[in-house]
Amino acid sequence: MNVLWFIFRLILREQRKALLRGAALSFAVLVMGAALLGVSGWFITGAAAAGLLGMGAVFDVFRPSAAIRFLALGRTVARYGERMLTHDATLRALETLRLRVLRTVLAAPFTQLARLRGPQALARLTADIDALDGISLRLVLPLVAAIATQALAFALLWWLVSLPLALFSLIGWLGGTALVLASAARQSVPLSRKAEAAMQALRARMIDMIRSRDTLAAYGRLRDQAEFAQAAQNRQSGLRRALDRVERRTGAAQSVLATLMAGGALWIGAVSVTHGPMAPAIAALGFFTTLALAETVAPLRRAIAELGRMSEAARRVRRTLAVPPAAQAGRSASVDTLSIRDICIARPGTKTAIVSGLTFSIKPGETLALTGPSGCGKSTVLQAIAGLVPVLEGTIELGALPVQDWQEQALRNAVTYLPQRSALMAGTVRDALLLAQPEATDADLWAVLDAVALAAVIRPRGGLEMVLGPRGEGLSGGEARRLTLARAALRRPALLLLDEPTEGLDDATADKVLAGLRAFLPDAMIIMASHHPREAATADRTLSLL
Amino acid sequence: MQRPVRRASLLSAGAALIWPLQAVLVALLFAGLLQGGGPAPVLLVGGFVLLGLVRAALGYVSEKMLQTSAHALIARLRDTMITTETTRASDTAFGSAGAVAVLASTKLDMLIPYITRYRPARMRVLLIPPIILVLAFWHAWVVGLVLLVAGPLIPVFMALVGWAAKEASARQLSEIGSLNDLLVERFSALPDIRALGAGGRVQDGFAAKADDLRRRTMAVLAVAFMSSTVLELFSALGVALVAVFVGFSLLDVVTFGTWGAPLSPAAGIFLLLLAPDYFQPLRDLAAAWHDKAAADAVAEEYETWHESAATKRLGAGVNAAPLPGLPSLTLRAAQLPSGIALPELSVNAGERVALVGPSGAGKTTVLRLLAGLVHLPDARITVAGHTLDDVAADGWRRRIGWMPQAPHFLNASLRRNIDMGRPDAGNMKDTLQRAALAPVIAGLPQGLNTQLGETGAGLSGGEGRRVLLARALFARPDVILADEPTADLDAATAALITHALMMEAARGTTLIVATHDMKLARQMDRIIRLGGAA
Repeated sequence: MNVLWFIFRLILREQRKALLRGAALSFAVLVMGAALLGVSGWFITGAAAAGLLGMGAVFDVFRPSAAIRFLALGRTVARYGERMLTHDATLRALETLRLRVLRTVLAAPFTQLARLRGPQALARLTADIDALDGISLRLVLPLVAAIATQALAFALLWWLVSLPLALFSLIGWLGGTALVLASAARQSVPLSRKAEAAMQALRARMIDMIRSRDTLAAYGRLRDQAEFAQAAQNRQSGLRRALDRVERRTGAAQSVLATLMAGGALWIGAVSVTHGPMAPAIAALGFFTTLALAETVAPLRRAIAELGRMSEAARRVRRTLAVPPAAQAGRSASVDTLSIRDICIARPGTKTAIVSGLTFSIKPGETLALTGPSGCGKSTVLQAIAGLVPVLEGTIELGALPVQDWQEQALRNAVTYLPQRSALMAGTVRDALLLAQPEATDADLWAVLDAVALAAVIRPRGGLEMVLGPRGEGLSGGEARRLTLARAALRRPALLLLDEPTEGLDDATADKVLAGLRAFLPDAMIIMASHHPREAATADRTLSLL
Repeated sequence: MQRPVRRASLLSAGAALIWPLQAVLVALLFAGLLQGGGPAPVLLVGGFVLLGLVRAALGYVSEKMLQTSAHALIARLRDTMITTETTRASDTAFGSAGAVAVLASTKLDMLIPYITRYRPARMRVLLIPPIILVLAFWHAWVVGLVLLVAGPLIPVFMALVGWAAKEASARQLSEIGSLNDLLVERFSALPDIRALGAGGRVQDGFAAKADDLRRRTMAVLAVAFMSSTVLELFSALGVALVAVFVGFSLLDVVTFGTWGAPLSPAAGIFLLLLAPDYFQPLRDLAAAWHDKAAADAVAEEYETWHESAATKRLGAGVNAAPLPGLPSLTLRAAQLPSGIALPELSVNAGERVALVGPSGAGKTTVLRLLAGLVHLPDARITVAGHTLDDVAADGWRRRIGWMPQAPHFLNASLRRNIDMGRPDAGNMKDTLQRAALAPVIAGLPQGLNTQLGETGAGLSGGEGRRVLLARALFARPDVILADEPTADLDAATAALITHALMMEAARGTTLIVATHDMKLARQMDRIIRLGGAA
């Protein structure tokens, strides 16, 4: 519950107005619904009483029937407005959450990124955020509207009918519902956590079974894996049944509560009329209003059924939001040289050294190639130089300042790192390039495209306006690689770090691109991590990490 | 499954039909209060509560039956999916492992609300409004007429509005994709965004797009919600008209609309209580409409999965006693589904053979055929002197070390990924040594207990390949079938793998490798070329 409150507060802080509007209209809908039935019951019973006494002609029919028509139409209009406003509030809430998550991961330490962006983690995260739409739409707004309506109903029933009935309605509805829902929540939250884990297990085991089908069959394990998946299915099914039982009981309990409330109001009315001065029409007003108030608590059943899923999702989203930002330092210096002394770097995710005792330096205009077999730590060295991963020992000095003392933005302006698997996003070629350098002119963009031998490819396909699909769809692997190279070069960094820059390019294009880059950035220090001899061949120096 | 669902739906309609009985008691009670006489209030209130309890109980039982049916259906479909997938030898046109697994897990669950909500709601729409209509006509034809006109108009208007909404949403949403896609794309590019120092710009761009998307979505919803508003409007107007008419005729202001005799107070209150329940089934059905749409989509997807044709493998993929005989192999008269004929192949026990040829020439298929992992009807394969068929396949595979090209690991520990659940079949320490994996393990924080797979640690390409090699070598196989064992590796790692394979061959193991790597191919006894003159 705590964690749901945490998420709701986040949403409330930024979307207070939208939520208040939604809550106000939800309240209006419930009030008009209860009033419609209450007034109708009072009107009919009152009319019958007047008719029996032969007083039909003096009974005021105009105002009640106008009120009934007004409430009927007003409720419909309010309901439409309520749905629009609460959905708007919910969409805004999800927007807020997504932005918060994005902001958090953008500031997270680089070493954490791999964990946050794996396909499974991402599928989870998006599903989790979607599940959280229920917090405001189905939990908080209905709850607030229900309590407010009950409070107003209490005051009106006390004024118009009697204190006993008003008290009965308030305590019965709120107390009874709280009892029913609290017990349902207590049972369903742990169950849905387990059910979801079982569902994930089923999915993962089936993926293993299908993706590794050859291997499993080759080693005689295929049927075992099928049984393993079946076991997850049986567990999931059992838990889901238990969850449904809880939900079913909640529904039945709500139905019983509604019956008891209506029966109680009927009884209080009958007693008041037979033993007291109350008119039957007033008793009818009390009964019909109490009956209609069932609408206030009915939607909460759905919220309770989702509570387990929501709190699990909220827990994980909170964990993502709790990733601390990378440490920030605040200085900068001029970049005339890079010198690395005796550094020792851990293998990603561990404390074991993968590179140790590495020393070298490089001057403007120089190109250095780091070589060595895959897994020897070339990429990690580049990331350490870019200040993205920490070193265990030794120093990396850029200009006169160790990289960890650089202010983040100043460091990014001085150093550009091109990851091995660099990704593009949907948009135009211009968008892709401007991401790196928003002030660049079209002439700059064409110059850099020319440098990576891409201008001629892009020009007939729409030029800078050429539209790329999600993840850069529409470009071949080699073209996408060159566009990311262009994007990195466009920043005109003093130090350019390239991880396997010409992967996926043929030899002739690779040579052209490397020469073009150097011509575009004549004074930059360029360090390449490379296992292609052709890349090392263009460098001024090579340094083997083995 | 159809019959229990229908019975349960009938039961749910039966529960809803208790309300008119409760309404009679309420009407009698108020009539008694107005006119005096009639049954004692305590009996009427007691009856009302009792009927309400019966109604709750019937609803509970009906829900239970529906949920049981739904779960039985889901369990059956999942069973079928798991069993069928064990017999399929390759991915089908339906999609990859991920798509199948999502269908089997989360998507099939979407059939549950269709059965537990939509089906009973449909039954109630069929039964309850007509019965209430008859009761209404019985007391006052005007009330019956109001309901009769309002009821059928609702579906008509809803269909019209729903239609417009669907068109509007299809037009809009296809253009812009969802906010989740945008988020996922930005996450995929996180390292780039960081490296380019573009965090602020990306956030602003995302916020602007999200805002734009919300506006467009709300425009679609504005139309879509009209459909339920029409329903609300008619039901509210219907109830209001009934209330006003009943009130006016009780006052004798209106003298038409009944069958001669004026409306009694009891009948008036009864009609008022009945009117909202005339519309309730329609509202339930409208609320469950989305469940039906989702279930239809899932059912269609399941059908596509079920119908998609797949190749078969030989044997059941279980452990069996090793097939006896010297490990020699022959392959004859095989033709790829694409029409390309495979060369005849005969490999003696202890021989080292390389299969080379351009991509698509069938190198991988030959290896899979020789392991019985895929079955082509006209292929004639003998292994260790036996015809390779369903009976022989499992025993034959017991003697094979299988090394596929792509390093897919199970969601399990590294140890289990190497021994494949047969810890006694080989010697782990010795295997790690032979596959040059020991230094890699030493660098992992949890060593052999490191979790691999989706949620587990990442291994570099060369490390992953060495794990595949260790897996193939673990049980000391008599035959090793290796698919591109050195592809995409740096020279040093490729040499390590080649060396390990040659050491196994030196021990007398039959070795067949499919490769592009001529350095590896030339170390074999024989090179067989596939696919034309290449």
